[in-house]
Amino acid sequence: MVRARCPHCGTPVEGATDAFCCAGCETAYDIIHGAGLARYYEERSEFAPRPEPVAGGWAAVPVDTLPGGLCEVRLRVEGLRCASCVWVVERVLEATPGVTHAQVSYATGRATLRWQTGSTDLPRLAQRIAALGYTPRALGVEARPDRGLLLRLGVASFAAMNLMLLHASIYTGWIDTMEPRFLALFQWTALILATPVALWCASPFFAGAVSGLRAGVLHMDVPIALGVAIMYGHGVVTTIRGHETYLDSLGMLVALLLAGRMLEARGRRRAAEAAVSLAASVPHAARRVTADGVETVPASAIAVGDTIDVAAGEEVAADGVVVRGRGHLKRALLTGEAEPVEVETGDRVEAGTVLVDGNVSVRVLAVGKDTVLRRMAAQLESAADRGVKPTTADRIAPLFTAATLLVAALTFAGWTIADDVSRAIPITVAVLVVACPCALALSHPLSAAAGLGAAARRGLLFRSSDALLDMSTVDTVMLDKTGTITAGEMQVTDAADDVLRIAAALERNSIHPIARAIVRECAERGIALPFASDVRETPGVGIEGVVGGHAWSLRSGGPGIVNLLYPDGRVAGQIRLADGLRADAPATVHALHARGVNVVLLTGDHEVAARRMAAAAAIDVVLADCDPEKKAEYIRDARGRGRTVLYAGDGLNDGPALAAADVGIAMAGGAASSVLVADGVISSSAIAPILAGFRAADACRQVIRANVRRSVVYNISAVAAAAAGLVNPLVAAVLMPISSGLVIRGAFRVERLMRAAEEA
Amino acid sequence: MNAIAFLLPLALLLGGLFAVMFVIAAARGQFDDLDDPPQRILHD
Repeated sequence: MVRARCPHCGTPVEGATDAFCCAGCETAYDIIHGAGLARYYEERSEFAPRPEPVAGGWAAVPVDTLPGGLCEVRLRVEGLRCASCVWVVERVLEATPGVTHAQVSYATGRATLRWQTGSTDLPRLAQRIAALGYTPRALGVEARPDRGLLLRLGVASFAAMNLMLLHASIYTGWIDTMEPRFLALFQWTALILATPVALWCASPFFAGAVSGLRAGVLHMDVPIALGVAIMYGHGVVTTIRGHETYLDSLGMLVALLLAGRMLEARGRRRAAEAAVSLAASVPHAARRVTADGVETVPASAIAVGDTIDVAAGEEVAADGVVVRGRGHLKRALLTGEAEPVEVETGDRVEAGTVLVDGNVSVRVLAVGKDTVLRRMAAQLESAADRGVKPTTADRIAPLFTAATLLVAALTFAGWTIADDVSRAIPITVAVLVVACPCALALSHPLSAAAGLGAAARRGLLFRSSDALLDMSTVDTVMLDKTGTITAGEMQVTDAADDVLRIAAALERNSIHPIARAIVRECAERGIALPFASDVRETPGVGIEGVVGGHAWSLRSGGPGIVNLLYPDGRVAGQIRLADGLRADAPATVHALHARGVNVVLLTGDHEVAARRMAAAAAIDVVLADCDPEKKAEYIRDARGRGRTVLYAGDGLNDGPALAAADVGIAMAGGAASSVLVADGVISSSAIAPILAGFRAADACRQVIRANVRRSVVYNISAVAAAAAGLVNPLVAAVLMPISSGLVIRGAFRVERLMRAAEEA
Repeated sequence: MNAIAFLLPLALLLGGLFAVMFVIAAARGQFDDLDDPPQRILHD
């Protein structure tokens, strides 16, 4: 047995060199890798702290106890494919004795379960979910990619291509008569190839259809499963009798549908992973002060009454009060304000805020769920669940299935009366085969995946295709100020090169945001930094040192001003900083206006500052002095007047507004919970991706409409032809790929339409 | 035509071999992550 170390936390583990010590570590590792930060593991000098472990089966998963003898737990449920899946899971759990509350969110795949203590337990509930065919997971354990779908697709593609070859031979054999023993060989080979396709590859459709039927919903999987079952059943019977079969159509149908489903799942997973990595901001370790010194412990081990040390650059792990030291605290997560505020002994600090300079000890007053951050986040998440909107295809499906069955029944009855049963059976089978809505089922996932991908490439990640499609109806865009149309961090607005050079030399190694802004500005202006010696940084006061043989010091000269001083205290120069407008904000606002969209600036800032920023960004409507609830109020107002509102914001204080809007867009680097509540996240430091979202939505909607139209026309005419007895396996084998091919080609048009829109 | 009786199973066997190889590769997670490995090379 090889002795190795957990790649994340360094705990010795047995087994392969890449084995993890616990699921928590693996999650952290995956998140870091998913965000493209794999370099962290090469450049760090110590192993990471161990995140809260969630291993050892369901019995070990922590359950929250609520007053009134209730237990509560939040899980992720995987495999949710549609509105009815959510419905089924909720219903089954609610029907379990002891369960008082079960809510599943389709958008986030999360379930909240509440039950009477003692009447049931989590392992049993998890078992219930698993028994339905869905995979429950403890929150925090990242999903593995769905290998099952890929395996099925691989096998189905192999079989489909060979089936096509075999049937091409059989069809040519019709013209140029084939010896019966070769026909039999080909047909039996085809049946052998088709068997795993129908029985294994197509199982997701059967599972979906069964769970849908159990819930009383006829969604897209039902007609598909019906078609597959008919084609295979018919194939078995006719192969034994030596007649023609639809097995080639079966192979292609299953392979195409699996490919569509996999593309959609991949798109959804990417967006979710990106959102999780953008949202990863909860500290996992804290430094606890004990009688023997300071020890590093998992954040979850901190208890009320402990004292923790927080150094410059660190995130505060719990709510508390400062008992020693001073520094500047960035509360952007909670308040949306970029400028750090000073804290000293006696001041409150909150979990999730960042100490930008100084060093403080904090006595802990609240941990975990009781912290302000988690309380606000929980409120937001429950507010943001606005249910599932069925896709166009899902809306058509019940009607479609009912119509198909009706037509099939009429066809059977008609042909039995007009001719006889032996003639009616193959024709009814043909009707059911061509009615199988391959193109219709493909139209939504393929176009949506293309649209999500096109938007993601341009910096806007959507959580669901519904949110993307909603964007095309948006007529009012409301923007937050700090961190949304501004960069959310200090930028140098005015400074002489010489002053900047000396200041940057002094601040080179400081992590204070103002220092970073000064150093960054120097790099942008291409100023080479001289060497600074004897640098001393005094938290909350300033920094001093020797540059070019002269002593200098930097002191704050009021809000947004830094003074460079001679040793005798005279001012040598001044640097002005402000939270500047994003470079792409004015152009974005112009483009939105050109689209006929109203743009409104919605900010908690006061009127004058807000107006100045709005003027610079060419926004003419300003609603200033808003608290979080007032922002949401304005949005609900606008929606009440028939407007469709998009809101973009970055802070935890933007949560209610994000939840109230038709489409909520969070900014990367914003509050974790704002990212989790929002429908989409802008992944780059820019505002222009909003435009890409509009264009992707337009393109996607246009393509889906065309595709649904096309496939409905195809299905209706094909069913009519089949009912008239004009369709045989060869005709079906030609028709189906044509209709599906048109739908696939349509999906590729999304990117083309977007390029055209961007050039226009 | 008799050649077909021999060639057809042979062709399926060869094709099936590749299908099995694909299934093994996929089941071992070769296709789980198509984005990170090419990026990681750039970090080295």
